[in-house]
Amino acid sequence: MSDLTALLWKELLDLSRDYKTILTTVLLPLILLPILGLVGIILVSQQPATVALVDEDYCESTNSMLNITISSRQVAEALYEELGKRGFKVIESNDASVVDDPLIDLVVVVPRGFAANATSLSSTASILVIKRANVQASAMAEQAVREVIGWLSYSLARVKVDALSRYAGVEASSEAILSPIIVQQEIVTIVGEKASVEEELKGLLARFLVLALGIVVAPATSFIVDGIIGERERKTIEMLVSLPIPLSKIIYSKILAATVVGIIATLSDVAGFLTYIYLTLLVYGVQLMLFIDPLLLVVHAFTSFLTILTSVAIAFPFITRTRGIRSASNIAGIVTIVATVIFFAGFMVDYYKLPMNIRTPLYLIPFTHSVLAIQLYAVGYRLESLLHALTLLALSAILLLLSIRTLDSEKILVAPPS
Amino acid sequence: MDIIVVEGLVKVYGGRRVIDGVSFRVRSGEVFGLVGPNGAGKTTTLRIIATLVKPNEGRVLVNGVDALAKPVEARKFLGYLPEEAEVYPRLTGYEHMLFHARLKCPNSYREAVSRGAQLSGLGNRLHDKAGEYSKGMKRRLLMAIALMTKPQVAILDEPTSGLDVHASYSVRKVIKEYSKEAGAAVIISSHNMLEVEHLCDRVAFINNGRIIDSGPPTELMNKYSSANIEEAFIKAIEASAI
Repeated sequence: MSDLTALLWKELLDLSRDYKTILTTVLLPLILLPILGLVGIILVSQQPATVALVDEDYCESTNSMLNITISSRQVAEALYEELGKRGFKVIESNDASVVDDPLIDLVVVVPRGFAANATSLSSTASILVIKRANVQASAMAEQAVREVIGWLSYSLARVKVDALSRYAGVEASSEAILSPIIVQQEIVTIVGEKASVEEELKGLLARFLVLALGIVVAPATSFIVDGIIGERERKTIEMLVSLPIPLSKIIYSKILAATVVGIIATLSDVAGFLTYIYLTLLVYGVQLMLFIDPLLLVVHAFTSFLTILTSVAIAFPFITRTRGIRSASNIAGIVTIVATVIFFAGFMVDYYKLPMNIRTPLYLIPFTHSVLAIQLYAVGYRLESLLHALTLLALSAILLLLSIRTLDSEKILVAPPS
Repeated sequence: MDIIVVEGLVKVYGGRRVIDGVSFRVRSGEVFGLVGPNGAGKTTTLRIIATLVKPNEGRVLVNGVDALAKPVEARKFLGYLPEEAEVYPRLTGYEHMLFHARLKCPNSYREAVSRGAQLSGLGNRLHDKAGEYSKGMKRRLLMAIALMTKPQVAILDEPTSGLDVHASYSVRKVIKEYSKEAGAAVIISSHNMLEVEHLCDRVAFINNGRIIDSGPPTELMNKYSSANIEEAFIKAIEASAI
């Protein structure tokens, strides 16, 4: 058994019995992420929203020329039925003063003259929506009302166009009149190849995977803090560094163990995230495998590994030169924050699209290469993705070698003076 | 044969010379004691010999190997028990031994572990998690780890510190037997004068980073006309202050 294997054996054996770490790193994300996601969906769907319908018009109007009859009741009933189907509680009221009742989230008023205007060819019928400021349920109900009214408006427009074309004796398509210009969409990859809608979903997954990189940094740096400063404070490190092996091997074993922790954290987070997506899609009847690219997951795992190495390499020289676990944890926290900012920005911004004068300084932050490795793979630039992964590997190797070269057992054993 | 040669060690921490020209030699089969109050420089001296701390001046030879130039090579001859060493609470005593033995003697680690099990005297408790051990059991385990590979030099920093009478007696017995059986050099540091008097063939009094006198305990007691080594130490300090 080589030195490194024996050292790693000890680290992993100790880790495997650290049930609290395993619970917080593996089981909690695996169980909690899907549960939190589902709870979110359930809470949103269960959020009570009450809509009051006020039919002030309460009459019917006929346009004999177009042969159209509209009644305000029809509109109110359509709203009542559609909103009810979407889970909203709908009540009917006689006047708009119902808005004074705080239990009502949205008031929809069909004003006087609605039916007459709706059947007219020269005026527009309006529906008044009274929405409460800063109330989520109110915003959701408003969105639903707009959709129903939009559909009603479009249907009425079609009927009017059909009637007018009959009246004028011309052959006209209501679509051509109502939407004379439409947008047609074709999705292609970054190199111009035809892409499916699923490709876009893969891109979305890649964005989430970039965000998930942030999760791997914290446990890995914490493990290194514990592995060096924790061992110093628990008084186990002195016998360890007195063994007839180079200090670098002890450090490598700790970094490898930290990487294992990070990879386990990544896998469990990604598994938790995919379980959440799977359960969500199950509701909509979409196949998960349609947009999961196994190779993308492999790229993510590899990038996570390198990201952990880099995080540890950045934090390591500072951690080993601090007095105690508190200051070392602060340093680990700073590294985690920097990484999180870069990954969060990577969730929203395509780094490879940034102008060179912005991208170049960003290259100095190793985490930028983590984001680019995933983003470029997702859009099809596989070679460039690999190059950024290798840059990350080279950066972490250089940083690690430098920090290990400047380290000796005395720095680890004896806390520097405050 | 001098298996340990320490010459002119100087160590400066924060502008203070915590070790100031320490020199001594230890022969194979000899138990050598470094005696002094807290902060005298015992632990720093032992850490320098164990290659964990680099001196600002001086040199250390371990079995002829320059310990400062080739620390990993020198450590192969050493067994080291730090003063405040602790155990990994989630590993069993047996796993501790296995881990150290695999790194110290990969080709004969099974024999080393079996010797360590015997030295520790922990019996079946060796397979319990070390976090469940008493302080005395932990010390015996760590002592056994330091000695199980039969190192030619055992460096034991305050081996009985904080232990009760029974545990201290048991640890001292192990040290005595080990030095006889293995013919190895043992360097111990202690501020327990009685322990040193009974255990050591030769002692060095250390105070403020300097060795103020050294020799066999009986010789030192005669030199300072003292009834015990404790009294001799006090007189030696007083004499050095003049």
